[in-house]
Amino acid sequence: MTFDSRPPGSSRRARRTVLTIAALSGALLVTACSPSSSGSTGAGAGGDGKVTLTVWSWRVEDEAAYKKIFDTYEKAHPTVNVDFKAFKATEYNKILATGLAGSSGPDVPQVRSYGQLQGTVASKSLLPLDGKVDLSGWDENVVASAKGKEDGKTYSVPLARQTVQMFYNQGLFDKFGITAPTTWEQFIAGNDKLMAAGVTPIAVGAKDDWTLPIVHEVLAGSRFGGKAFQPEVLAGKKSFTDPDWVASVKVVGDLEKYMPKNVTGVAQTDAQTLFSAEKAAMIPGGSFDLSVLQKANPGMKIGIFQVPPAPGSPSGSSATTAGWADGNFAVSARSKHPNEATELVKWMTSKEFGQMVNDDIKQISAVPGVEPTDPLLKQMSDNYTNSGSPYLLLTDFRYGAPSGTDLLGKGLQQMLLGSKDATGVSQDLDTGVKAWFKPSA
Amino acid sequence: MRRRTGLVFVAPALALFAVFVLYPMVTAFSYAFFHWQGTSRGGFAGVENFATLFTRAPFTTDLPQALLHNVLFFVGTMLIQNTFGLTIAYLLYSRPRSRRVLQTLYAMPYLVSPIVIGYLWTLLLSPTFGPVNTLLTRIGLDSWALPWLGDPKTALWVVILVSVWQWIGFPVLLYGAALGGVPEELTEAARVDGATNRQAFFKITLPLLVPAIGTVSVLTFIFAMEAFALPYAFGGSTGNPAGSTDFVSLLFYRTAFDSGATDAIGSSSALATLLFLIIFGGAYAATSVLRRHERRITA
Amino acid sequence: MTTAVVTTEAPTERAVAPPARPARRGRPPRAHRPVGGAGASVLLWGYAALALVPLLLMLSNSFRSNADLITDPLGLPAPPTTASYVEAWTTGNVATYFGNSLAVTVGAVAISTTVATMAAYALARGRSRIFRWLESLFLSGLMLPIHLAILPIFYLFDGLGLIDSRLGLMLMYAASGIPFSIFVLTTFFRQLPEELEEAAALDGASSWQTFWRIMVPLVRPALATVAVFRFVPIWNDFLFPLVLLRREEKYTLPVGLTNFFGENATNYSAVFAGLVITTIPLIVLFLVATKQIVAGLTAGMAK
Repeated sequence: MTFDSRPPGSSRRARRTVLTIAALSGALLVTACSPSSSGSTGAGAGGDGKVTLTVWSWRVEDEAAYKKIFDTYEKAHPTVNVDFKAFKATEYNKILATGLAGSSGPDVPQVRSYGQLQGTVASKSLLPLDGKVDLSGWDENVVASAKGKEDGKTYSVPLARQTVQMFYNQGLFDKFGITAPTTWEQFIAGNDKLMAAGVTPIAVGAKDDWTLPIVHEVLAGSRFGGKAFQPEVLAGKKSFTDPDWVASVKVVGDLEKYMPKNVTGVAQTDAQTLFSAEKAAMIPGGSFDLSVLQKANPGMKIGIFQVPPAPGSPSGSSATTAGWADGNFAVSARSKHPNEATELVKWMTSKEFGQMVNDDIKQISAVPGVEPTDPLLKQMSDNYTNSGSPYLLLTDFRYGAPSGTDLLGKGLQQMLLGSKDATGVSQDLDTGVKAWFKPSA
Repeated sequence: MRRRTGLVFVAPALALFAVFVLYPMVTAFSYAFFHWQGTSRGGFAGVENFATLFTRAPFTTDLPQALLHNVLFFVGTMLIQNTFGLTIAYLLYSRPRSRRVLQTLYAMPYLVSPIVIGYLWTLLLSPTFGPVNTLLTRIGLDSWALPWLGDPKTALWVVILVSVWQWIGFPVLLYGAALGGVPEELTEAARVDGATNRQAFFKITLPLLVPAIGTVSVLTFIFAMEAFALPYAFGGSTGNPAGSTDFVSLLFYRTAFDSGATDAIGSSSALATLLFLIIFGGAYAATSVLRRHERRITA
Repeated sequence: MTTAVVTTEAPTERAVAPPARPARRGRPPRAHRPVGGAGASVLLWGYAALALVPLLLMLSNSFRSNADLITDPLGLPAPPTTASYVEAWTTGNVATYFGNSLAVTVGAVAISTTVATMAAYALARGRSRIFRWLESLFLSGLMLPIHLAILPIFYLFDGLGLIDSRLGLMLMYAASGIPFSIFVLTTFFRQLPEELEEAAALDGASSWQTFWRIMVPLVRPALATVAVFRFVPIWNDFLFPLVLLRREEKYTLPVGLTNFFGENATNYSAVFAGLVITTIPLIVLFLVATKQIVAGLTAGMAK
């Protein structure tokens, strides 16, 4: 054996060695625990007296547009340098949570809206903007996206209004003599005509659960009463077991025959490809899908419509466009340049910025009174202004876990798979959100 | 080598490991015992966060389901790699000329990131454009052209099969190596006594492979309980469709980063701690059983 | 905590047997004819084809134009075009990412393998109880789902000033590979006869000389195995660089490509070209190292 028989005392020495190692790593840990001395963002005043503001976003695909927009800002504010950085959308929440908690984070981060903003607010990572930015005259539902639920303060400036509606292929509609429907009967007749011709009427990607609450809003938003339903359910006068809500869930199930076969196996990208390849005539989608669809098949003429109310809809309910706000920008509490950062988000409430959001980013700006130049975006924007409603599960039921959108997404999948009916799905949704939702009344 | 020399040899690894692995993990576990408001820590919470896992939605429904899927993932992987994988290794062992080439080919999918693997198989299995269903329909097996990833009855098994497909090179290599260690005289002697190939395999070779199978099993157990990348690539963070490919790591991910709950760090850390305890307990139990078995065969 | 996933620990009487040597593989095969005959051969080659299908699909799609891909995701590249490669390489900044990935991965694997080899040797030869304890501690690291600790890791890096540092990332990966490397390497060292060291000691060699000149060369196949098995997941990982790096010029290939994919969400062809570029180094590495790996595993598992 190679091991010496140890002389007495060696074990004590060994113990000392171990202790030294432990102390050494301990020292490292202490350094690690202590807050960093700089304790602020990496961006600082440059040698030329300029202030650099770091802006973070999850819109990698809009990087060029954002850079152009911030160039305009830099020209008007010669002492400010905007450093725009975009990260992968699916990992952004992680990057933001860590980035705001430590040093070398952003000055002006793009933040989530409504419920998903609350964690960031609770971390005290953002500066309240009350009295600094003016959101009066903005859509109430849009402003709600920027607020802390607990303290009611404003923490961000909404970037865009997203709307959901039905996209359709104008060429295919013309070919089969269909026009954008204004009544439910026309809508169903159109679907039947398309199906008889071997075209998939409605492309839905039910494999991705997050798309399904959107599909529900597009197809049946008016069936549960649209805008009128929100105050009632928030006050606790109605719940998701309400017959009108259950019936709206059932509408999605009843239309399954118009969707691709084995719809729960169809991914959202597959659904978009079906539409772009002109194998499907309609696709429920968001305003954020427009540029994707236009790019995928530039030769195709796309139109949009609001799905008319299904039979039995509450009286006074009309076709509606559900919407919400997102892409909000905020000011980090750790920013070294809070004044300059606040000035930048304040500029984001201006019409100048709003117009660029419309024209360069191709989203519907949240700034009131700014008109999109793209005719389809304008139509979406007008629809929302004239007959809009909140995308209820997103705007009001994401303030806890499980979220309303997760529950309905899973529930609709179960319904399409045949393992639950509309009543069961609605019941699960109701029970699920009651884990954290307390009516205001 | 003296003990002190030995400790000097261990020191660099220990220091790195302590700082970059142990310390963050222990910190993560400690998070489970505090109240949280976003990323700011509140007071001591005792076991409250753990209680949450067993009393509050969505954990009460999602956790047992996710855990079951982890276990099925383990069992399924074990079944396939210890039958199909072992058979392949055994067949390869008697083909020394093509062995290396085939072993290399089987290990190829391991080189590709699971995210990419998930994406490619989703394309292949898509009910709208996928060639698998197109092929099945063309050869008249319409009833076999299933939605695969769209049906809870098949989705989990697709995830398991693709995972085995990606990793099979590893057990094949290890079993091949273990077969090389089986003394030839023993199987030869059995054949001389009139045993068939099959009898020689089951009576002589297989019992001697148990330690190798054991090692592979324990590693597979750890791997299966931590499964994340592939399920995420197939079913997203919610385990589509209808939660049928949900796993504990996905639940952690949703809780920690996607939820609107402001105390997310507390409950997600409790979940991470629980997962570690399960892995630790399982691996410990399996190792004890194997140790006893090994003592028996070497005695 | 006396666990240890070590089930391959060699019984004592094996420790004096000669170590597995490459020569072993040269002996005549055990069975004189292939088990299972031609049918089994067909099965083996058929499965090999199945293992390659998605890789070939990736390769084939990278040579097709995007318009072509959208209308028929699984067609053949006729005629092949390399436009996507040009695009990925020039607009995707791939050359920079590639260099970073190579530096971080090679550095991490080198550090991790070096320190783990030293530690594994001591753990395999140490008789004191503290070594059993330390070994259990290291092996418990195999069971730690490290990606669940992303937040503490971020704070740690922030405190150490390692955010946006390739060196920090390298150390992180090096540390996370230690348990697996020690797990494999201790098994190998245990199988080497202790007479080797006794002889070296008689010749007056120090512990370090014995370790470096005699023991390390004997476990070379195991080192190759460990290195390759660690190399692959580090090369492919994108979670840690996404959270720990800030500036684009420091991005590794998977992170850089996720951004490139984001900008080209609908340009599948460019995405596939990027993926092929990412995967090729791994395939080359693996082909070069297979011989060593097979030898390594053969020695390691021989019982």
